[in-house]
Amino acid sequence: MGKPRLERPLDTTTEVETPEHVRFRYQVAGPGRRLYAYLIDVLIRVAIIVVFWIVAGIGGLVGDLPGLSMGVVLLVWFVVEWFYYVLWEVAWSGRTLGKRVFSLRVLSDTGHPLRVGQSLIRNLLRSVDFWPAWQPIPAVPFLQAPTYVVGGVTMGRDPRFRRLGDLAAGTMVVVEERVFVEQALVIHPPPTARELASLPQRLPLSGDEIEALELFLRRAHKLPPLRVHELAEMVAPTFGARVGIGSIRDPFRFLQVLFARARGVAAAPEHRPPSPPPQGPTPFGSAAWRPHHPTHPAGRP
Amino acid sequence: MIIPQDQFVAARRRDWEELDRLISLPGKRDGAELSRVAALYRATCNDLVHAEAARYTPDMMGYLNSVAGRTHNVLYGPRPLHVSGFVRLLFVDFPVALRKNGRLFGLACALFLIPAAVGLFGSLASRAFSESVLPRAVIEGMEQAYSESLSRGRAESVDAGMAGFYVFNNVGIALRCFATGLVFGLGSIYFLVYNGLIIGTQAGTVMHAGYGANIWTFMCGHGGFELIAIFVAGGAGLQMGYALVATDGLTRFGSLRRHRRDIVAQVAGAAVMLVIAAGIEAFWSPSSVPPPIKWGVGVFNLLLIVGFFAFGGRGRAPLLTAAASARDGGG
Repeated sequence: MGKPRLERPLDTTTEVETPEHVRFRYQVAGPGRRLYAYLIDVLIRVAIIVVFWIVAGIGGLVGDLPGLSMGVVLLVWFVVEWFYYVLWEVAWSGRTLGKRVFSLRVLSDTGHPLRVGQSLIRNLLRSVDFWPAWQPIPAVPFLQAPTYVVGGVTMGRDPRFRRLGDLAAGTMVVVEERVFVEQALVIHPPPTARELASLPQRLPLSGDEIEALELFLRRAHKLPPLRVHELAEMVAPTFGARVGIGSIRDPFRFLQVLFARARGVAAAPEHRPPSPPPQGPTPFGSAAWRPHHPTHPAGRP
Repeated sequence: MIIPQDQFVAARRRDWEELDRLISLPGKRDGAELSRVAALYRATCNDLVHAEAARYTPDMMGYLNSVAGRTHNVLYGPRPLHVSGFVRLLFVDFPVALRKNGRLFGLACALFLIPAAVGLFGSLASRAFSESVLPRAVIEGMEQAYSESLSRGRAESVDAGMAGFYVFNNVGIALRCFATGLVFGLGSIYFLVYNGLIIGTQAGTVMHAGYGANIWTFMCGHGGFELIAIFVAGGAGLQMGYALVATDGLTRFGSLRRHRRDIVAQVAGAAVMLVIAAGIEAFWSPSSVPPPIKWGVGVFNLLLIVGFFAFGGRGRAPLLTAAASARDGGG
């Protein structure tokens, strides 16, 4: 168990291969997000029971049928307790209201849509995942406050955050969000020809390293300048040694130029502004393409 | 040759946005839209492969993956629910699965009935036994509840209230007997033994107090459905536990998933039996129908269940299970 697991990147995505041999990745939903969705569903469940209780109470007073109204309330309670999730997930292809709010969807762990039987199993087994349950009123044993310790521990041990019910049913919960693409990262001020020339034509950098550089540069404007400098100072010598540069005066600038070189950015004597996002009406309201944040000049101490 | 990302985006962006718009539409898409979605989906998946090879930026990959994933869920919606499918599950798959799981079903029966017999005879022999199993308040409540015969019947509104309670309580017991089987079957064993002992002791206590005829007349109509449903659910739970232990070289959960269809059929069957039981328990059992008729109906129900379990779905079984297993091969 120990070592080989790391061969897969540490990530919260899971690859799916469809019958057409198409592969893509889903982002797996973590416990926090699922907890919020669960809380919304709990509120809805409680609301349904309370509404029926009130209606039944009024009905009981008017129609003098306390037994009947109590029966209806208990029946509704039962359905809500055991089948709320199954009904939603089956009717709405793997979603409940809470899951919809947080853009979650239950899928078969092969990426196929959820089947009725899978939904039934994963939700019946919820009664194991929510152990140990706490009974706030001993006289009402069916009123249980779940703690989800079993489910939480199981989720923590599984790379796809599946609880016991998911593992048994062969399902997983994925995040299904519209993701936004940022504009290509623009180095500010643009690297000069001299800066670029100081680096070799072909950089000895792996794709992962370039990606890491990009993620860092994109994030730099959200960090305090001294922290940016500190982080850059830790990384720059490693790359510097590889490209044969011994002393680096400004590590952050060095990383910027390094990245520009790796992405094949041309030197900017003509001072061409970054290509703006194509204009014109987008077919839907919210543009999926956000303007980028320029790397903060203050990032250079 | 690797195309720079900006060029690639500029060339392909229109298609992605069209696809994004089509799959974000609320409601259903018509035929033309669907075939357009399918074409764009294939193209986008192509782009995804290209983008991966070209090592485009992470947010770009995230965007393409999200569009592809959401399109996949639009194109491959869930299988629609048909009444005929449910009927087949209940009348064919359920008895077939139960017979396949016959040994564990028998074990579940024994795990319930032996403690039930202990409880019954123990409490018949002495009241001290009953008091060691059940709280005194419960014993007194039961003795009082069954002290009157049902020759006059109960008010109907009370019946409906009781139906709700029975569904809640008994289906809860049965589903718990099933679900806790996930702990390698131990939970099913515990709940079967526990409920067997409790129910046996309750019957014995009432008989000890001299109201045996009342409780048996009351229970005979629905008892068959109710208890056997609990056995079925417990048997499914044991099957789940067994699949986790005897894995046949698969992973534990892989082995469990292989039994999924059978387990679902049994649980669904048990649930329907419990709903039937609750209906009988609420409206028929407390009615003022003379005991001999109730006894006759009770025996008839029992024979019906045994006959259904023994012969249900036999003629059509091979064909359907073959089709089902062929269809399940992928998932």
